[in-house]
Amino acid sequence: MKLTLEARAGSLQPYLLLVPALSILIGFLLFPLMWNIYISMHNVSLTTILGEWKYVGFKNFSNLLRDPDFHMSLQVSLLFVGGSVALQFFVGMVLAVVLNQQIWGSNAFRALFIIPWTVSAVITGFSFKFIFSDSFGVLNYGLEQMGLNPVAWLSDPGVVVWTLVIANMWHGAPFTVIFLTAGLFSINPVVYEAARIDGATKIKSFFYITLPLLKPFIIINLILITMWSVNFFDLILVMTNGGPLFASTTSSLYMYRQAFEFGLLSKGAAAGFLLIGMNLVLAYSYIRLFRRQERTVEIRQM
Amino acid sequence: MSNSNSLGDYPPVTKKESSTNTLHEYIFKDFKLILVIGLLSLILVATSLTPFTMVHAQQPKQVTLTAIVAEPKERWDSLFADALTKLRERHPDMKIDIDYRVLPYADTRKQILTAMAGRTPIDLISIDQIWLGEFAEGKFLSDLSNLTQSWNRSSEWFKTNWDGGIYNGKVYGIWAWTDVRAMWYWKDLLNQSGVSPDSLRTWNGYIEAAKKLENSTKDKGIQAMHLVGASHSPDMWYPYLWMLGGEIVKQKSGHPQKGTYWFPAYNSTEGVQALQFLSDQVKAGIKPQINHFWGKEFADKKFAVMLEGSWLLGHFPRNESKNFDKSVGMIPMFPVPKEGDTSATMMGGWMLGIPVTSTNKALSWELLTIMIQPDVLAPMLANYAYLPTQKPIAEGTYSTQLNATIPYYKELISMLSIGHSRPSIAEYPQIADNIRQAIDEVYLGVKEPKQALDDAAKKSAEVLGWS
Repeated sequence: MKLTLEARAGSLQPYLLLVPALSILIGFLLFPLMWNIYISMHNVSLTTILGEWKYVGFKNFSNLLRDPDFHMSLQVSLLFVGGSVALQFFVGMVLAVVLNQQIWGSNAFRALFIIPWTVSAVITGFSFKFIFSDSFGVLNYGLEQMGLNPVAWLSDPGVVVWTLVIANMWHGAPFTVIFLTAGLFSINPVVYEAARIDGATKIKSFFYITLPLLKPFIIINLILITMWSVNFFDLILVMTNGGPLFASTTSSLYMYRQAFEFGLLSKGAAAGFLLIGMNLVLAYSYIRLFRRQERTVEIRQM
Repeated sequence: MSNSNSLGDYPPVTKKESSTNTLHEYIFKDFKLILVIGLLSLILVATSLTPFTMVHAQQPKQVTLTAIVAEPKERWDSLFADALTKLRERHPDMKIDIDYRVLPYADTRKQILTAMAGRTPIDLISIDQIWLGEFAEGKFLSDLSNLTQSWNRSSEWFKTNWDGGIYNGKVYGIWAWTDVRAMWYWKDLLNQSGVSPDSLRTWNGYIEAAKKLENSTKDKGIQAMHLVGASHSPDMWYPYLWMLGGEIVKQKSGHPQKGTYWFPAYNSTEGVQALQFLSDQVKAGIKPQINHFWGKEFADKKFAVMLEGSWLLGHFPRNESKNFDKSVGMIPMFPVPKEGDTSATMMGGWMLGIPVTSTNKALSWELLTIMIQPDVLAPMLANYAYLPTQKPIAEGTYSTQLNATIPYYKELISMLSIGHSRPSIAEYPQIADNIRQAIDEVYLGVKEPKQALDDAAKKSAEVLGWS
């Protein structure tokens, strides 16, 4: 049946209403991504940006994958992201569960624990830089007062990554607290009541009720804090600038330095594209892992 | 129950009453209305603007010059204020303003590059000497060669400083002021430790003094010697390389694309010897400092001895400058391998340049020349303890003013003769990073100086396109 103009207009209307959102998506997400890929396949640096861009195919990617500094940055990223996610999640979870116990002042504490997340990463970086300073830091001063040896928090290649993990944990754990608190609020207290009547202890309730019911929140939280930790570089830039000896240069900082300190825009674009790939792989892995666990539980229950 | 809304209750739709005709009617009606409103608005705007533009044409032409410069801000405030007054006097028919942004050092370079890549109109920028090659190579800077010829003041500059603004035979920047790095020490701390300042002049004497000072000052929370371990550590290593006759890069033929081009020369015997001295300092207990506060740590008496730029003076209260030399000593040199050797130092400072995106090139050039006029620049140099790059200020009547206000001024000026500058080539940031890595490897004891420098030179050669 031939549609009337009105009917045609009506069927197009939902799509027309999506145009503003799609424009923003295309303009600020897809276009930059495509442009990034375009730059990564040409030879573009700050000294050639106004001239002709020579097409080089995948040469930038192959140069990147052969760069020992990039390999080092991947190793550092693994340590930094792994440590940050583990600590942020663990500390955030513990705080969220404790604050959910209806203790005195829990609301006030909740508000207090959110403060680190509201502070910018740059301010956090500068603050921790002074706390951990080898020569003038308050931490080493405290250690010396206690008769202990000072630690080269920011100048020892073996220690610097963990120093950054601590700073990142302080900065990012509040997000986990908020997120998991929202999840805890969504759990019906009647479930705990029933479990208590059946003789479940608090610890058993946590592992057999709280955790399974929090799983959707945990998945999303882990995805977000992992992606943020992979992309995070401002705190590292401020605290150590990637040193000493690249021991704190993560992949995101490596990308930033290639593009904006050395002016190698193509190499930076290639590194950025690989970072996006890393994030997608990690996010997909989380989702697959948790879905596999859910299916295993379902199969067991059948 | 009847369905009063069934289709059968409605009369059939005729061609005349079709939705297409209704839609066309609405569109036509709306179109007429839109056209009338549009014409009326146009008439109103045109008539309202006409008297406004007539009045506006009678007022002076408004010109706002834009600039990006590196902090600290105060020096630019005084310089721009004085220069703007003179520029306005020369152009009473124009209303000239300057909109300048003062940014941290690293951000200045990035902002300039971003602005240039985006073709943002900027009229004036401050350029670190090591950025000149990169900016010129990227065709971001205006060629000032013809302007400087007609200006006819180039002979008034010290040759090193004038040549520093030239890239590939063309003038792209004017070196406005410079600074040198010297050795500063707290007299009372050296006295208490029984260390003679003269012993600091040689490498061995410097190391021995460090050990003596450390024993004496550590209980006071003061470290003996400052050693730069921050990202610009190469800047404090270059003087040792230069005093031994070494170079950072040198011209070499046989380049795959460019025929003759720069090749890393810092891993020479001289380079290894220079880096060995840094290694010896670390072995003597001197700790590389990854944070650098540009002399504030010396002013706060955290270090007994510090190799630092002449800007260090700015960290001390101005009203104490007359008695400054009673408490702080200065040796105008870097330690040398042995007594009698000629020392070296690194010259820094700032150039002024005009980006190609400037829309007011003539006026910007005029502003630049006013800013570096001795009568405008000298007071700023005196206030902030910077050193001149031009002879009328360094040797003329203005030198008396500078001598009276800047402690150790004569000694600092004397260092200009042993001053060297870094290469202003496009690849310098990467080369400096390779050298920094080599220095870090030696500081941490990961590699010996020769291995570290050879590995760094290999990377630098790749960066320069030799492989």
